[in-house]
Amino acid sequence: MKSAMTRTAVALAVLVGALGLAACGGGSSSTTGSNTGSETSETSGGGGETASNKGPIKIGAAIDETNLMKFFDGPALAAAEIEAEKINKEGGVDGRKIEFTVENTQLEPAKTKSVAENEVNGGAEIMWVTCDVDWATPSIQVGLKAGLLTVSPCIGTDQMGPKRFGSEGELAFSYGNVAQDEGAALAALFKKHGWKTVDIVPDQSIAFTQNVCESFKNRFEENGGKVVVEEKFTEGDGTIGSVANHVNSSPADAILICATTQNDLPTFVSGVRSAGNQTPIVGPWSIDGSFWLPKSPKISNNIWVTTYASIYGDDPNPEVRELISEMDKKGAEPATGGFVTGASAIDGIKAAVEENEGSTEGKALAESMVNFKDLPTISGEISFSPELHTVFGREYRVIEIKDGKPHYVEMVKAGTPAEL
Amino acid sequence: MSAAREKVLQLLPPLLLIVLIGLVGTTVSAGTKTEFTGVLVNIAIVIALYVFIGNSGVISFGQIAFVAIGAFAAGVMTIPSEVKPTLMPELFPFIANHSISSFESLILASLLGAFIAFVAGIALMRLNGLAAGIATFAVLEIVHNVLRFWEKIGPGAKSLALIPETTGLWEAVLGALFCAVIAFLYQHSRSGRLLRAAREDAPAARAIGVNIHLHRLFAFTLSGALAGLAGGLLVHQIGSITTEQVFLQLTFITLAMLVVGGMGSLWGAVVGGALVSFLNVYLLKLEAGASVGPIHIDLPNGSTLLIIGVVMASIVILRPQGITGSRELSPRRWLGRRRRGASTSPPPPVADAPKAG
Repeated sequence: MKSAMTRTAVALAVLVGALGLAACGGGSSSTTGSNTGSETSETSGGGGETASNKGPIKIGAAIDETNLMKFFDGPALAAAEIEAEKINKEGGVDGRKIEFTVENTQLEPAKTKSVAENEVNGGAEIMWVTCDVDWATPSIQVGLKAGLLTVSPCIGTDQMGPKRFGSEGELAFSYGNVAQDEGAALAALFKKHGWKTVDIVPDQSIAFTQNVCESFKNRFEENGGKVVVEEKFTEGDGTIGSVANHVNSSPADAILICATTQNDLPTFVSGVRSAGNQTPIVGPWSIDGSFWLPKSPKISNNIWVTTYASIYGDDPNPEVRELISEMDKKGAEPATGGFVTGASAIDGIKAAVEENEGSTEGKALAESMVNFKDLPTISGEISFSPELHTVFGREYRVIEIKDGKPHYVEMVKAGTPAEL
Repeated sequence: MSAAREKVLQLLPPLLLIVLIGLVGTTVSAGTKTEFTGVLVNIAIVIALYVFIGNSGVISFGQIAFVAIGAFAAGVMTIPSEVKPTLMPELFPFIANHSISSFESLILASLLGAFIAFVAGIALMRLNGLAAGIATFAVLEIVHNVLRFWEKIGPGAKSLALIPETTGLWEAVLGALFCAVIAFLYQHSRSGRLLRAAREDAPAARAIGVNIHLHRLFAFTLSGALAGLAGGLLVHQIGSITTEQVFLQLTFITLAMLVVGGMGSLWGAVVGGALVSFLNVYLLKLEAGASVGPIHIDLPNGSTLLIIGVVMASIVILRPQGITGSRELSPRRWLGRRRRGASTSPPPPVADAPKAG
C-alpha cells in the first residue's frame, strides 16, 4: 500500500510539474528587422493598424523551421528579411520600418494555430504563413479571423484566397505562381520549341502538381498539341518504374512530369534515360534545383524546368544575383528559385501599404493587392484578380540541365492563365 | 462507507484533474490556452481508447479511425452549405445541401463512430492478440484511404477549412468530463464487469457463460461513439482537418498515453493522456528551441516522438501497469492511509483492479 501511495504521489507530482512547465514554458520566437521609429506602435491585435501610426510594420511569421517545409519557408523568409532590411535602410514604408517575428509551427496543426495566435496577440499586423496551403490552414484562419492581411510567399495553387477560405479569404494572398499560369507558361515553352506531342506524368499526391499538368494539357491542346499518353502516379506508390516503361514505349516530342523532388522523380528520369530515351523531360518549379539529379551526366541531361529565378549564378536580373549573394553571406543558400517570392511578397506589401498611406488595415491592403496589375517586383511583374489571389503574369526563367549542369536559357511567359 | 459510494469517490480524481487542467488553462496566454484545449481533447480520445482496450485487454490500433470519422463528419456538416460547393465540388448533394450546428455535429460524430465501430466489430471482435491488432489496423487504413480519396464525402487529400471553432477550453473540459463519466459508468456496468472478467481469464469467463464477443462488441461500439465525439471536439478546436492529422502519429501518441498512464483504469487513461500530452507540447517547444531557466535547449527535429517512444518502452519494461499501476485512485483509501501512517492492517479489496502487475 505504501508503494501505491508513493506511486500516486509521484504521478501527481509529475503531472503538476508537467502542467507548470506547459503553462510557463515558452517557445522561442525571433525578431528581425530594425525598429527605429520614433513613436511606439499601439498594437491592436487584429485588423492591422491605421495610417497615423509610425511604429514598425509587424509581420508575424508562422512558418516551418524544422520539418519538410523548411526548405521552402526558410529561403523565402531569408530573402524577405534581406528585402525588408534594404527597404528599412531607405527609410521604410511610408516612414515605417518592417519587423519580422518568427515562430516555428513544426507543421503540427494545433501548434500552427497556437503559434499564429501568439503572433496576433503579440501585435502582428500582417500574417506570414507556410508555403503549403494545407499545412498553413490553421494559421491562415487565425490571421483571417483577426482581419489581418495573410500572405504566403510561395503557395502555388488557387486555394490561397476565397476559393478555400470563403469571404474571409479575400485577405489571403500568395506570391507563388498559380498552377494555371505555370501550366500555360509550360505550354508556351512547348510551342516555342516546336514540341507538338507530349507524354504527361502527373503526381497525384499534391494539388499543385495535378493542377499544373491539367492546366498545361488544356492550353497545350488549345495550341493544337497532342497528348500521346497520360500516366498518373502518386509519390511513393511504387508504380514509377512501370510509368517510365509506359512512357518509353509511347514516343513523343517531349515528356512533361509534374512532380516533387522526392524519390520518384530521380527514379523516373533514370528509368527513361537508362532505356536510351533522350526525349526532353520538362517540369514546373516543383522540380527545380540540382540536389535531386542523378549523378550520371548522361542521365541528368536534356531536362527543362520553369522557375522563379536561376540560382546557378546566371540569372538575367542583377538584383536577383545580388540577393542570392546576400543570402549566401547569411548562410541561407537557396536550393531552388522559389526563395525570390519572399522578397517579392515584401515588395507587394510595401506597395499596398504605401497606397494606403502607411496603414496596415487588412481589408484596405487586400483591396489594393487584389488590384495589382503587372506590379514590378524583384521577381518580375505580378498580378492578382478577385478569383486568383496567387500570382499570374510573371515571366518564368527556363533552366536547362545539360550533362548534369543546370543553366539559365531563356524567359517564357504564360500570356493568360489556362483553364483548370 | 458503502461500496457504491467508494466507486463514486473513485470517479472524482479523474474529473478533478480534468477540471484542474481547465482552470490552469484560463490563466495562460491565448496560444498556450489552445495547447491546453488540445490536451483536454487528447484526454477525451484516450478515454475512448480505454473504454475498449482497458476493459477488454485487446490492443486496438484502429480507434483513431473513429476519431477521423467523427472529425470529418462534424467538419463537413458544420461548414455553411453556401460555401461547400466551392470547397468540395464533388460532394453528394445531400451532404452539400445541409448544414447543422456544432452541437448537433457532435451527436452525429458519435453516432457515426458508433455505427462504423459496430459494423467493423461484428467480425473483428472474435479475434484476439496479434490478429486483433492487425485487423484493427486494417480498419484504420481503410477509413484513412476512404477519407483521403473519396471526394464525394469530404475534401479528400486537401485540408478542410472554414470549420466553426466552437471547442474552447471549457467545451473541451465538458467533453472530457462527459467521456470520463460514460467510461466510468460502463466499467461498473454488468457488461463492463463481465468484459473485465473475460480480460483476466477468458476460458473461465466462457465457462460461466459470458458471451465475450457480445461484450467486446458493445465496448468497441461505445469506444467508437466516444472516439467520434472526441474527433468532433478536435475538428471544432483547430477549425481545420486533414486526413494525416488523424492517422498514424495520433494512433501512436494516444496509445502511448494509455500505456504510460496505465491501460487498466480510467485514472490511468486520464493521467497518461494529460502527462504525455503536456510532455509532447513541451518537447515540441524544445525542438523549436526554448529556454529552461538559464539553459537554452534546442532538441533535434523528431526528438519528441523518439523520447515519447523511449518513455513508453521504459514504462512497459519497468512498470507494465503504467505509472498509476492501472488502479483507480480512491481518495478515501489514500487519505485514510495518510492519516493512519504506515498501518499494519491489510488494504481493502479494490473493485475492478487487474490482478497482474
